[in-house]
Amino acid sequence: MINTKFKNAKLSTKIITALFISGIIIFGAISFITINIVRDFTLKGQKEKASLLINTVETPISVALFLGTNGLKEKVLPIIRLKEVYALNITDNDGSVVFDYHKEHSLQTDTSIQVSKALYEPSSRQKIGTITLSYSGEEFMNTMEQFYQLYILLLLIAAVILWIILEWINRLLLPIKLLAQKVHNFRPGEKIIFDIPYKQKEFGQIIQAFNSMQDRVWAYADKFQTVNKNLENKVAEQTKEALRHLYYDSMTTLPNRLKLQEDFSDAPRHTIAIINIDDFKEINDFFGIEEGDTLLIQIAHWLEELKLNPYRIGGDEFAFKIPDGPTQEDFHREAELILTMLSEKVFIIGEETVHVRGTIGIAIDSDKPLIHADVALNRARLLHKPYSVYNQSEGIEQQYRNNIAMSSHIRQALLEHRIVCQYQPILSCTTGKIEKYETLVRIKNPDGSLIGPNDFLFISQKTKLYHHITQEVVYQACHQFAGRHEQFSINLSGSDIIDQKTINIIESTLMQTGTANRVIFEILESEGIENFEVVNLFINRMKALGAKIAIDDFGTGYSNFENILQLNVDFLKIDGSLIKSIHENPRHRIVVEAIVDFAKRIGVETVAEFVSSQEILATVSSLGITYSQGFYTGKPQFFENASV
Amino acid sequence: MEILMIRLVPIILILFSLLRGEDSTLLNAHIRIIPKIMALYPTAKYIPSATLAIVYEGNRKVFAQQIASQINSLYNGKIGEVYFKAIPLSTNEVLNSKSVTFIYFVQMSSKTVEEITEWGTDNGIPTFSYDMSDLNRGALGSVSIERNTMIYLNKNVLKNGKFHFNESLYSIARLVE
Repeated sequence: MINTKFKNAKLSTKIITALFISGIIIFGAISFITINIVRDFTLKGQKEKASLLINTVETPISVALFLGTNGLKEKVLPIIRLKEVYALNITDNDGSVVFDYHKEHSLQTDTSIQVSKALYEPSSRQKIGTITLSYSGEEFMNTMEQFYQLYILLLLIAAVILWIILEWINRLLLPIKLLAQKVHNFRPGEKIIFDIPYKQKEFGQIIQAFNSMQDRVWAYADKFQTVNKNLENKVAEQTKEALRHLYYDSMTTLPNRLKLQEDFSDAPRHTIAIINIDDFKEINDFFGIEEGDTLLIQIAHWLEELKLNPYRIGGDEFAFKIPDGPTQEDFHREAELILTMLSEKVFIIGEETVHVRGTIGIAIDSDKPLIHADVALNRARLLHKPYSVYNQSEGIEQQYRNNIAMSSHIRQALLEHRIVCQYQPILSCTTGKIEKYETLVRIKNPDGSLIGPNDFLFISQKTKLYHHITQEVVYQACHQFAGRHEQFSINLSGSDIIDQKTINIIESTLMQTGTANRVIFEILESEGIENFEVVNLFINRMKALGAKIAIDDFGTGYSNFENILQLNVDFLKIDGSLIKSIHENPRHRIVVEAIVDFAKRIGVETVAEFVSSQEILATVSSLGITYSQGFYTGKPQFFENASV
Repeated sequence: MEILMIRLVPIILILFSLLRGEDSTLLNAHIRIIPKIMALYPTAKYIPSATLAIVYEGNRKVFAQQIASQINSLYNGKIGEVYFKAIPLSTNEVLNSKSVTFIYFVQMSSKTVEEITEWGTDNGIPTFSYDMSDLNRGALGSVSIERNTMIYLNKNVLKNGKFHFNESLYSIARLVE
C-alpha cells in the first residue's frame, strides 16, 4: 500500500523523501561514528591522564613495594592531592590491600574513570602488585556535553539546510507542475500557450518539444477530422440502410412487422386489420415464386394507393391500422369494401391477368392488436368467412392457451410414460363371444385420472407429437397381445400412414412380438382415404405381414365404394352416429342395411360401433352385422398385466 | 629442626646485637632490604650466583653468620632473577676475596670501615653499612628507619665507584654527599 503510494507520489515528494532519508542515514552514521570517536578519544585522553599520574608514582611505589619499605602515602601524595583523583588503591600479588585511599567527595555525582596498572619488581620485571586509580570523569562529561550541544547545533543547521534544499527542489520542479497543469487542461481544438516564466534550458527544451508535438497533433487532428466526417457519413448511411433492412420489407418496400410493433408504442391500444391473400400457395406453385413475389409487390402498391399505410407482416399477409371512431358496422363495411375492391382488381402476372381474394381479421381497440387480429383471421379462415372481428367473449385466446398447456402435458406424459392403452371388447354377433379388442389411447394423469383421446389427439397432431403417441400405442398393444390369442385393432391417422419412420417402427414391432396376423389397423375414412395411393401402399405392406385393415367411421365420409374395393380392406366399422339411433331412425337403418349389403357382396366383415343397449344389439344382429362394439357389449378396460 | 633454627636465629641475633649495640629492629629491616637492594644492582643479575658478604670485625663471626643464615633462610638463595648466597666474611677475607658481589657490614671501627669501603669503591663492589654514619666513611649506602624506611646513597661514592643501580632505586633513595 505504502509502496504503491510512493510509486504514484509526485517527483518532488520522491526527491525530498530520498534526500530526507539519505540525510538522516548519513547524518546518523556520521553522528554515530563521530560521537564514538570523540567519546573514545576523550575517554582515552582522560585515561591517559590517569595513567600518567600513575606513571609518576609507579616506580617509587614498585620499589617500595619490592623493598617492603613503608611510606607509600608519601610517595603517592603528589597525585592524591589532585582534586581529579577520587581514589587510589594498591594491592600486592595476593590481592591484599597495601594502600587504600578514598577522597571524601560528597558532591561526586559524575562518573569516575578507573585506571589500573600492574606494578613490577624493578629488577626481574615480575608482577608484584596492582595500582588502581579512580579519576574524575567530570572533564569527560563536560567535554561530551559540549560535543552534544555542538551536535544539536549542527543538526539544526542541517535541518535548515535540508529545508532550504527542499524549497529549492520545489521551486526547481514548479515549472513541470505548471506544464502538467497546462497539458492537463488541454481541450481538442485549443492551442496551449506555454507562457511559463522560467528560462532554464531544460524547460525550454520541454516546451519546444510540447509545441512541436502540439503542431503535429493539430495536423493529425485535421486529417482525422476529415476521416471522421467521412466515417460518420458512412456510418449514418449504413445505419439508415440497416434500419431500412430492419424495419422495411426489401421486396415490397413496405414497413414490416417490427416497424408495426414499434409504431404501436405510441399508444396502448390499437385497431388494426390483417389481410391474407387466399390460396397464395397455389398461385406460387402455379406461376412460380418470382411471379408470386411480383403479385405481392402489386398488392402492396395497391394497398398504398388506397392510402391504407400498409405493413407487410408475413409472406402473404399485410396489416394496416384503422383509425378509431367508426362503429362495429363501419369496420364490417370497410372490410367488405376492401375485399370487394381486391377481388375486382386485376393483377398481371407475366402475360396473365389474375384476380385474387383475401380474408381479413380485425382487432378493434386491442391491447394485443397483432395477436387478436391474427386470431380473428384464423377464425375467418376456419369458418370460411371473408372477414372476422376479434371477440374476446368467444374464448379463442383461452382455447389457444389450453391447447398450449395440453401440448406441454402430452410432451410430459410421453417423457414420463403416462401414455396408456385401454382395450374395448368387440363381440361376435353370431357367437356372442369377444373375439377382438380395439386399442384406445389415454393419458394417465399423475393423480390416476384419465384423459380421453378427443382431448389431446387433435392437439398432438398440430404439435407433431402424434407419431410418438402412435408408436407408443403400437408398442404397448403388440406387447400386450403377444401373450393373448384375440385379435386387436389399432387406430392410425393419415399422417401416420405417410410417416415412413412410424411405418418402420410398426413393422419391426409386429415382427418382434409376432402379432402381425392378429392386428387390425383402423384407418379413418374421412382422413386416410384422401391420399389413396399412399394408403394403398401401406395396406399392401401390412397385408404382406399378415395384418388386416379396417375402415373406421364408415358411412360419414366421402369415399366412394370403388376406392374401398381397390383398397382390399377386411372390415368396415360403421360409424357410431348411424348405429346409436338405428332402432329409432329408419333412414339410418336403411343406410346401415346398404353398407352391410355392400360389405357382404365384396366379402368384407362389418363392425357396429356405439352399441349401447340390448335393443341396438338385437337390431345390428338382425341386420347381419358381424361384430358389435359399444358400452353395452363391453367398456374399455385395462388388462391386469397392462404395462403403463 | 630448621623451623626451630628460624625461630631461634632472631632471638640469638637480638642477643648478639644487644652485646655490641645494633638495633634489632633496624637489623631485621636490613636483613629484609639489603638483599633486595643487591638485586637492584645489575652486576648481581648477570652472574650465576652472587655473593652477599656479611662482613664482620674481630670475633663477631657468629653474629655475621647468624645474619647470613637469616638472609639465606628468608630468600632461599633467590630474589627475583638474582641467585645469591649470603656468607659471613672477615675484613681480611673480604679484602682478599674476588667473588664478593655485594658487601654489608655491621658495626666496625672507623678505620676498618674506611678500608672496606675504599676497597669496595675501587673494585666496584657496593658497600652498605648498618650504621648510617659510615656514609661519611665511604660507605655507598645505608638504610634507616625513621618515620618511614629510608634508603640513603652516597652520591660521591656512587660517582667515584661508577655504580649503576636499577633506576627505580634512585626514585626512592635519598642521595647524600
